[in-house]
Amino acid sequence: MSRNFIRRSSRVLLWALVSVGAAGAAAQQADGPPIKVGAVLSLTGPGAGLGGPERNGIQLAEKRINERGGIRGRPLRIIIEDDGSKADIAKSKAEALIHGEKVVALLGPSLTASTGAVATVTHSLGMPQLCMTGLGPVIESSYKSLFHMLPPQPLNARAMLEYIGKGLKAKKLGVLHDSGYGQLVMTHIQNLHKEYGVEIVATEKFEVGATDVSTQAAKVRAASPDVVGVIATSPVPFRNARQMRITQPIVSAVGSSSYEYVKGMGDFADEIVFAEFIVSEDPLPHQKEFVELFQKEKGSLPKTYDAAGWDAVHVLAQALEKAGPDAGSEAIAAAIRASRYRGVVAQYNFSAADMTGIELESYTYSKLIKGRYTRLPFKAGK
Amino acid sequence: MDLTLLLQSIVTGVTNGFIYGLVGLGLAAIFRGTRIINAMQGDFALIGGIAAVLLLEKLAWPVWAAFFAAVFVGGAAGWLMELLLVRPLRRRGGSEESYLLLTLGVAFAVSALVLYVVGRDSHALPGIGGDGIVVVGDVAIRIHALWLVSIAVAVMLALRVFFGKTALGLSMMAAALDAEGALTTGIDVPLMRTLTFALGGLVGGLAGVLVGPLVTVYFDMGLLLTLKGFAAAILGGLANPMGAVVGGVTLGLLESLAIVMVSSGYKDVVAMAILIVIMIAMPNGLLGRRLRKGG
Repeated sequence: MSRNFIRRSSRVLLWALVSVGAAGAAAQQADGPPIKVGAVLSLTGPGAGLGGPERNGIQLAEKRINERGGIRGRPLRIIIEDDGSKADIAKSKAEALIHGEKVVALLGPSLTASTGAVATVTHSLGMPQLCMTGLGPVIESSYKSLFHMLPPQPLNARAMLEYIGKGLKAKKLGVLHDSGYGQLVMTHIQNLHKEYGVEIVATEKFEVGATDVSTQAAKVRAASPDVVGVIATSPVPFRNARQMRITQPIVSAVGSSSYEYVKGMGDFADEIVFAEFIVSEDPLPHQKEFVELFQKEKGSLPKTYDAAGWDAVHVLAQALEKAGPDAGSEAIAAAIRASRYRGVVAQYNFSAADMTGIELESYTYSKLIKGRYTRLPFKAGK
Repeated sequence: MDLTLLLQSIVTGVTNGFIYGLVGLGLAAIFRGTRIINAMQGDFALIGGIAAVLLLEKLAWPVWAAFFAAVFVGGAAGWLMELLLVRPLRRRGGSEESYLLLTLGVAFAVSALVLYVVGRDSHALPGIGGDGIVVVGDVAIRIHALWLVSIAVAVMLALRVFFGKTALGLSMMAAALDAEGALTTGIDVPLMRTLTFALGGLVGGLAGVLVGPLVTVYFDMGLLLTLKGFAAAILGGLANPMGAVVGGVTLGLLESLAIVMVSSGYKDVVAMAILIVIMIAMPNGLLGRRLRKGG
């Protein structure tokens, strides 16, 4: 009896050991040496409003990919560095990641100037760089290993004009914009507005971080526009526009759409339309999984920059899976260039001239109604 | 030019000017009582503003109670600043430059602490009188802005009386102007310096709850407010609290009128060019010369 007992016990123990081992393997399928990827983002300084969300998306994607077995069985390890929103620091951090950590690819930076600085390094090595900006200076078009996760500013300008000209059928536009992001978009609005039969009746600029732009808002109001464009990375101009009794519709761009700014707008976060990519309160079918996962992990809803970070990691993962993690920089870059990817932000085509391939049809339009984003039926490019 | 737009720009300029003036008031009060240029005056406003935000959002205090408490939190911050950092530096013979560096360093530390604890969100405080506006002619005036101007004027007059007429205010002045002489008359000089910083903190905390509804409260608002307040105080005469408000209103008006009469793109260039001319013509500030008569 005791021999049977020992035999039975041994079998149970063996079964238990095998089960535990199998369970362990299921929970941690990715093993082997990690595939190191560098990320240089603006986590402090004026660009922190972009870099913070991008980091959220990147970390969530890294976790998700590793939970699902990594890439060819190897875990992804993303090393994130802060460039302080400064181009020179971005470049030195990128060099440290490339030569010190021996990363296979770079994600970021968050700002156009930093992207250009880092791209001079990655271009010379043919290293893939998935940046969180749209196409910047013309020279970027010649960098064949640089890929953009966000649309170029002419497309952002066009997306706003689509709604102003075709959606609202407005003829007179007044614009309140900051000297950074707002200026970039405004330059292209000035180039494109005639195509939409829109006349610009007032343009008022203010410095990034301005605490009050009431006088500029009053000047825009005095020009009696049909619609007012507000393009800034701050809630201040939205508040001031309404405080100065601008009652006309306000239309804004993707870079101004954030829950952080909505909070700062307070009671004035109402009747403002954004040309953007994700309305988390009402996600499109291909965005649902990301939104639900993000909400579960972070306890908040994502916006475009969170999604851009998520998409960048997935684009890279797809290329690494295809080319192999040890295929070398040029082969990985070639795999990205050849890929078509249905991202949360948009449908990407990295062989396009603007190295992103985002089309006008990818934009979605939302309206803030009492502090809550609501999807509008309007479609651009129709 | 459109008269309504001109009047609107004057109203906006005066409102912004009083914001700068309030920060300048605190700077001038501390300079008057300690001869220290406090580079974290705007961060006293941040501390007051963020205290009000937390009391309202986390503890659901009534607005008035939260505002009063936030002002005193600003005062406590000033008190602690002098006690824990300025006093030890003074004991070790710190120079004027070292005080400037100390307060600048603390300003960055406060900003980083708020970023770490509260996050990077902007917070809109409720205005006194809500977000309502009064329309005179076609000119919109925010009700809260009227309160801000009234309170700033009251504080300016109170400080004038305090430093000129009360025993405590005169003792603080004496401690700043001649510490050894003040000691011989029985004035507790270290205490006077601590009280001066607490007073500066109180004014800064008040600035925080008053500017919060207009410009929102966020982690790196302090340094920008300090710079504008410093410009206001220098323009008006650094040792004169009334000068800080006069300087602030002058700066606010110059900025606002530059937008309307020249271009918003050249606002700072025009305003600062005129400031330079004023400072060359009146090196002691707009009210600096008069203050020194008999002093």
